[in-house]
Amino acid sequence: MNTVVENVPPPNTLLRDFTGPLTQELVQRAGEFGLGNVPDRLKPDAVTSMVCGFCSTGCALNIHLRDGQAVNLTPDANYPVNLGMACPKGWEALTPLAAPNRATTPLLRDAEGKLQPVTWDRAMTEFVSRMKSIQAKHGPESVAWLGTGQIATEELAFLGALAKFGMGVRHGDGNTRQCMATAAVAYKQSFGFDAPPYTYQDFEESDVIVLIGSNLCIAHPIMWQRVLRNRKQPEIIVVDPRKTETAQAATQHYALTPKSDLVLLYGVANLLIQNDWLDNSFITAHTSGFQEFAGHVRQFTPDKVASVTGLTVGQLYRFAESIHRGKAVSFWWTMGVNQGHESTRTAQAIINLALMTGNLGRPGTGANSITGQCNAMGSRLYSNTTNLIGGHDFTNPTQRAKVAAALDFPVACIPTENSWAYDQIMDGIDRGEIKALWLVGTNTAHSWINQNAVPELFKKLELLVVQDMYADTESCAFAHLVLPAAAWGEKEGTFINSERRFGVIKKVSVAPGQALSDFNICRLIANYWGCGEQFREWTSPEAVFQIMKRCSADQPCDITGIKNYRLIDESGGIQWPFPETRIAVCETPSERSGTPESAIRDPRSSGDHRRLFADGRFYHPDGRAKFLFENPRPTPEATDEQYPLQLLTGRGTSAQWHTQTRTRCSPILRKLHPEKLYVELHPADADQLGIEPNEVVCIRSRRGSVTATAFLTATVGRGQVFLPMHYETVNQLTYPAFDSYSRQPSYKHCAVNVERLSGRA
Amino acid sequence: MPPVQELPSEPTTTLIDALLAEQRSLTAVARFARKHEEHALPAQARFYRDLIPLTKPAPGEQYAFEVDLDQCTGCKGCVTACHSLNGLDDEESWRSVGLLLGGINGEALQQTVTTACHHCADPGCLNGCPVLAYEKDPVTGIVRHLDDQCIGCQYCVMKCPYDVPKYSARLGIVRKCDLCHQRLAVGEAPACVQACPNEAIKVTLTNPSSLMAAYRGAATQENPFLAASPAPDYTLPTTIYKTQRPQVATLRAADETALKPQPAHWPLVFLLVLSQASVGGASGAWLAAAAGQSLAATRLVILSVVLMAVDLGIGALHLGRPAKAWRVFLGWRKSWFSREAIAFGGYFGTACLAATMLVSGRGTGAELNVAMAAVALLGFAAVFCSLMLYVDTRREFWSGFHTGTRFVGSTALLGLAVWLVTISGEPTIPNAALLALIAVALVKLACESTVLRHRHETRWTPLKRTARLMLGQLRIALGLRIALALLGGVVLPGAVITGTLSFSIATAAALLVLLLTGELAERYLFFTAVSPTQMPGGLAT
Repeated sequence: MNTVVENVPPPNTLLRDFTGPLTQELVQRAGEFGLGNVPDRLKPDAVTSMVCGFCSTGCALNIHLRDGQAVNLTPDANYPVNLGMACPKGWEALTPLAAPNRATTPLLRDAEGKLQPVTWDRAMTEFVSRMKSIQAKHGPESVAWLGTGQIATEELAFLGALAKFGMGVRHGDGNTRQCMATAAVAYKQSFGFDAPPYTYQDFEESDVIVLIGSNLCIAHPIMWQRVLRNRKQPEIIVVDPRKTETAQAATQHYALTPKSDLVLLYGVANLLIQNDWLDNSFITAHTSGFQEFAGHVRQFTPDKVASVTGLTVGQLYRFAESIHRGKAVSFWWTMGVNQGHESTRTAQAIINLALMTGNLGRPGTGANSITGQCNAMGSRLYSNTTNLIGGHDFTNPTQRAKVAAALDFPVACIPTENSWAYDQIMDGIDRGEIKALWLVGTNTAHSWINQNAVPELFKKLELLVVQDMYADTESCAFAHLVLPAAAWGEKEGTFINSERRFGVIKKVSVAPGQALSDFNICRLIANYWGCGEQFREWTSPEAVFQIMKRCSADQPCDITGIKNYRLIDESGGIQWPFPETRIAVCETPSERSGTPESAIRDPRSSGDHRRLFADGRFYHPDGRAKFLFENPRPTPEATDEQYPLQLLTGRGTSAQWHTQTRTRCSPILRKLHPEKLYVELHPADADQLGIEPNEVVCIRSRRGSVTATAFLTATVGRGQVFLPMHYETVNQLTYPAFDSYSRQPSYKHCAVNVERLSGRA
Repeated sequence: MPPVQELPSEPTTTLIDALLAEQRSLTAVARFARKHEEHALPAQARFYRDLIPLTKPAPGEQYAFEVDLDQCTGCKGCVTACHSLNGLDDEESWRSVGLLLGGINGEALQQTVTTACHHCADPGCLNGCPVLAYEKDPVTGIVRHLDDQCIGCQYCVMKCPYDVPKYSARLGIVRKCDLCHQRLAVGEAPACVQACPNEAIKVTLTNPSSLMAAYRGAATQENPFLAASPAPDYTLPTTIYKTQRPQVATLRAADETALKPQPAHWPLVFLLVLSQASVGGASGAWLAAAAGQSLAATRLVILSVVLMAVDLGIGALHLGRPAKAWRVFLGWRKSWFSREAIAFGGYFGTACLAATMLVSGRGTGAELNVAMAAVALLGFAAVFCSLMLYVDTRREFWSGFHTGTRFVGSTALLGLAVWLVTISGEPTIPNAALLALIAVALVKLACESTVLRHRHETRWTPLKRTARLMLGQLRIALGLRIALALLGGVVLPGAVITGTLSFSIATAAALLVLLLTGELAERYLFFTAVSPTQMPGGLAT
């Protein structure tokens, strides 16, 4: 189709070369398979689609295959999530697979302290014998694991089930504690289940979009795409101390004092109540605790709130009135809320605003937590850490029995108590109670708050096992045993995205060396541990998916109606719930008819986008959502004369992912962000400190000091500095405070000072 | 892909083998249906159909990018899409995203700017290319680079005010955005247009002659193209940057304070300095010949020929594809690079001829005079072309004054030094020449140092960046440059004049070496301290 005359270059002459080998390098041809032109040398012989392995948006990518091996990718135009778009990480998702620093063989630390390649047999024998001897010597409490939101749900389920039900490990948590725990706890307490109620379609159907602590343009660019597809000219309200890219694109930006969000939200609630801008019938029919809440927020008068938040009374009124005027108001939050010292109550203050104005269950509404990692949602439901597998409760005997039956395991193997959270596991190591730690797909030595304390903790361990794609992460430096893991693209499974959508990942690239999928590593461990028989049914990711289905029966996250991976693949992903009957929570009567397959096959049919609570029934036994609230507390580390500036951390660019173990492997992504750490500083503050633009400065907190290039910009407020979290040293500064309900670390606030490097000498 | 690690020999374990084998089998095609029919049309088309013109450009029109700044939020998907869909090298993309910053009345503003080739109506790259490796497509107006014609001289990199063409060390040529002409030809949108989640990039039809009026008409305070970007009157960029926010015009580039030394281009450093020494020597030869000093003239011409021969060899080192460099004259109508090459070619040929005449003793005095004059005048012309080559890039530090005083100064200074070497054995000490040398050295140094006064400017102008770079990261080179100039240009000749030092061959040679090294340091700074013109960039560390 693209043999077009004008593309044929004229023949070469003595003086001019119009064509030749260099020109040939860039020749394109029709890619077929609905792709359009592709580079000639990368033309695929087959194309398959799978969800991306970076963030929770859950975009689908068309993988271009040659002989089954991925050679290139393009975003999937037919997937209802991303509509043919991807952020830079998605475009570059294949590149980190081929990185030369991949872990290709198990590594064992020898007597000289060097990591040496060993066989899988040796690695497994060491793993099992050391773990068992530590358990024998120090008790079952002495072993813990820290998992991730980056591996497949089936792998998380296997890891959690193997550790707790097979190996008798008591304590396990994941890096989802660092990003999503708050949202999970907030939903559970308010709604009765960890259930983000929305679909991305809501971005398009709101007339007021409130983004709190969420830099959507950078953190979730493909969700911002959905905001821009909204044809209702929505009011876009951004609450963020910084004038972020998203704040810049908003119609209203409230640059509040850092961590005054809870006060602001209570103040707005109070204004809504004082003006009777409420949905009283919704409150009466579907909620509990409103009167107490109204009494609580009465003290948050506009004057008081204005003085705490640094906003004007006029701004508060405008904010409240905008919510009132909206017919469909959606509230969205991300890490700016989740990573705070009173984050659960803050998230619930957002939920309260949605409840009191009746903005739940209708198109374009909701109190919506935008998740971080590609499978944070899978981790929340199936990692067997905070919840018993499938969103159940370890302390509930009925649920233990139900899960035991679903798994065909003896009920006695299920612990009756909750395990420790991440910070409690770290404290346990410090106290010498935990002697062996197994890290799976996470990089604690980089990402943990108050990072300087980590090396000392890790040195106290008798055994640190790191299971990762890369053998050179900061955490591997402390490992006794490194297990090489196959990556996204080298294995099968499912992810669950922010809007509860299951998507499939596929095997499109050969894992390097002897790397094995986390799933297969679990199979090996089960076998060497001696519980192979117990896990005889756990033979493949799809077999485990069937087990997960059984565990989900009658839960709000029921997926018993999803026949297999193929159905998910052909349907453009499937949102939970999807019970066998699929009568539960569809939004329109027309949706309830017809088979699930036909209802969702067309990406533009409404069946593709489902939200929860259309019937106003929540998951508490009384069917009502709860108003939950508490008095705001001051930030744990106030600024003072010595440390006068507030440090904010967050995502730097859309080209960087977390601790950068993967994104740093892509040369093109590395070009899209500064190579070294930079600090955003207000020009007026810089003036006072005598700091020149682009000068290397020292940033110091009570816990450590780092150097960074000064980037002077008024997008950060006076008295604040911002550091992007991706750079290795940033968490040397952060203050280890935790939300008391979610145990999520408060990365977003601590006290620092900044000074010229030369001034120190 | 890392190599497969060999298993040490030991009894194989069945499950491990089975799992490793399973890990190596690729199952996506077998287990899942193919995504599309093999011959399906581009599924993406429904998203970009409105973002490309329905028709081909009419006469007088051309394709152009149109960027809606209000929609660009800096996700940089366009950069990676360009990389992947065009099959470019690891670090290569033809699009980039910069940042504008500022604020009015205390309210901070930031604006991300996606940018690629502007497919200018009067392209600097095309006008500068010595081998005609650029073409402006007569139908589409796309500025295309003929990769197989390119010799890798990288002059287009300097000529483009928007820093668009990029040199590939792997290929030895530059490559640049071709507006995905292969896609447009079959009705598909360019990669960046397809990939922007915010529909911020379009391809539209524009009338280049209207740009002429808009950009080369009355001078306005604000840049009518885009804030903090190079003035568009030079090349008439066709990209249209749209915004509803008038404040954008007040913003400054986020990287305007970034001080980054530019490539030193060592072959060019040597090429310029040695060619100027050669021309200086040849001028001396002309004077000597006119004064009847044929021995001095002979020595000077031979020295000049040797210098120039070395120079031409070094010049080839700078090219990525020297085998095709013989075509370098093709661009003479517009390219100062071609003109410089032609002039130096003529200069070298004539100088060889003159040297032959002198050595062989053929030719009358008058003929010799004419030949020597021709050599010198061609040399001056060549040096003039050299300086115009840089002036024509419109970089402020490479202005007529800064480039001219350097190039002409080097020619005079090194000419004198070469001459002094050739007469160093003679009994009389040429005090006048030494005084002239001191004068030239001091005047040149003074002219060079004028750029440093820009360091205190309030606004971050290109010359302020140059001054700050010289006094900051390049201060060692600057110190060296000043020291060498003072030693070779003042102290040493002063010592000879005052009689402290005898004027031996060794003294003369030391003088030449000091001055030559000093000029090389000066030229190193000329290249490294320049602030290239470019689109607003992002954060720099």
